[in-house]
Amino acid sequence: MSSREAFGCDIGQARRAVEQLRMEAGIDRIKVSKAATDLLQFCTEQAKSDPFLVGIPAATNPFKEKKPCAIL
Amino acid sequence: MCDQTFLVNVFGSCDKCFKQRALRPVFKKSQQLSYCSVCAEIMATDGLHENETLATLKSEAESLKGKLEEERAKLHDVELHQVAERVEALGQFVMKTRRTLKGHGNKVLCMDWCKDKRRIVSSSQDGKVIVWDSFTTNKEHAVTMPCTWVMACAYAPSGCAIACGGLDNKCSVYPLTFDKNESMAAKKKSVAMHTNYLSACSFTNSDMQILTASGDGTCALWDVESGQLLQSFHGHGADVLCLDLAPSETGNTFVSGGCDKKSMVWDMRSGQCVQAFETHESDVNSVRYYPSGDAFASGSDDATCRLYDLRADREVAIYSKESIIFGASSVDFSLSGRLLFAGYNDYTINVWDVLKGARVSILFGHENRVSTLRVSPDGTAFCSGSWDHTLRVWA
Repeated sequence: MSSREAFGCDIGQARRAVEQLRMEAGIDRIKVSKAATDLLQFCTEQAKSDPFLVGIPAATNPFKEKKPCAIL
Repeated sequence: MCDQTFLVNVFGSCDKCFKQRALRPVFKKSQQLSYCSVCAEIMATDGLHENETLATLKSEAESLKGKLEEERAKLHDVELHQVAERVEALGQFVMKTRRTLKGHGNKVLCMDWCKDKRRIVSSSQDGKVIVWDSFTTNKEHAVTMPCTWVMACAYAPSGCAIACGGLDNKCSVYPLTFDKNESMAAKKKSVAMHTNYLSACSFTNSDMQILTASGDGTCALWDVESGQLLQSFHGHGADVLCLDLAPSETGNTFVSGGCDKKSMVWDMRSGQCVQAFETHESDVNSVRYYPSGDAFASGSDDATCRLYDLRADREVAIYSKESIIFGASSVDFSLSGRLLFAGYNDYTINVWDVLKGARVSILFGHENRVSTLRVSPDGTAFCSGSWDHTLRVWA
């Protein structure tokens, strides 16, 4: 599985891999429940300012067509 | 699309012993040297402990990987979509193509929005880079690159320049000028030099620095003015296909994805990889930070998009359906992060509810693969580019 093998299996690479893994294993993590709750909170707070969720009237959205005007 | 890169056998004089041998690239404090295999082994074994052999290091690496998985699993107490059950479901979305930008002579490979929320830069296989006004669909600037397959392009934060590159292995910056007498190509500045194709580029918070990703397996940070390499990022085991900078409030990190199926988060100052995720089953084509900066999404050739939370250090959601069998080439979030837009190789764009994990909408319109997709800076629309030679703005 290790893609680190793809570039040749020399000692220097193996040492760097071990050091990198040691560092990654040691970082601080939080529970998924807390992380998920924070993501949810961010979403709900920002939802009011998200044009895709709130919808902008056609008049102010530069991409949507304005009401057709009749040329008299 | 990317072929496997093979190690090139270079013969020459070793930087250490000066003998004529087959050379390998070796990195000493981020500087690349060429050593023969004998000197490379000597350098690697310097300061080795008595019992450290390749075998013991490999078994230690395997046990550390196991420990990493264990630590991550300990905190996996709930799924994101379970927590999201108490959130209201999204209503029906009506999204249509509002503008079609026609003018490229071949596949559109990349696009980026200007901060003014209306201009778009796009690049194509035919070597052309075009700047469009998306409101009127007029072309404002066009540059012909000296190479085909311009796989990366980016707009500068000031709106006064664009960067692009591809098979020429370089990233070049073109200042945008409205002066008819000046040719854009004349003012071109070559900033980045890689040893393989340029797959992605992005300006940092200013016009002065550019971050690049390349088929040579590395990412690099460059100073635009001098062309100097400020920092390089090594760690991917294969071509790096995409990158995205963290939203400015959250600091100096960026995420990259590659053909080695990994997504890696880097510290821009130290050049170190701080977190790595390997749950995709194929190349990671696109990565994008969640608007809060605490998570990122990735799209892959394994037909799934996945959400990784950086503080929980694990994958927290998969966006997939049995009916979706083609790879996702490009992903982006809506402003609040509730919606994930993903362009696929089956010509469609799927819109996912990020929290609940369900597909909200499927958009048809392109007549070939969707290769690139970005939401506009104010979130009112998103633009998709395709192998059908066109770009479409949806709202």
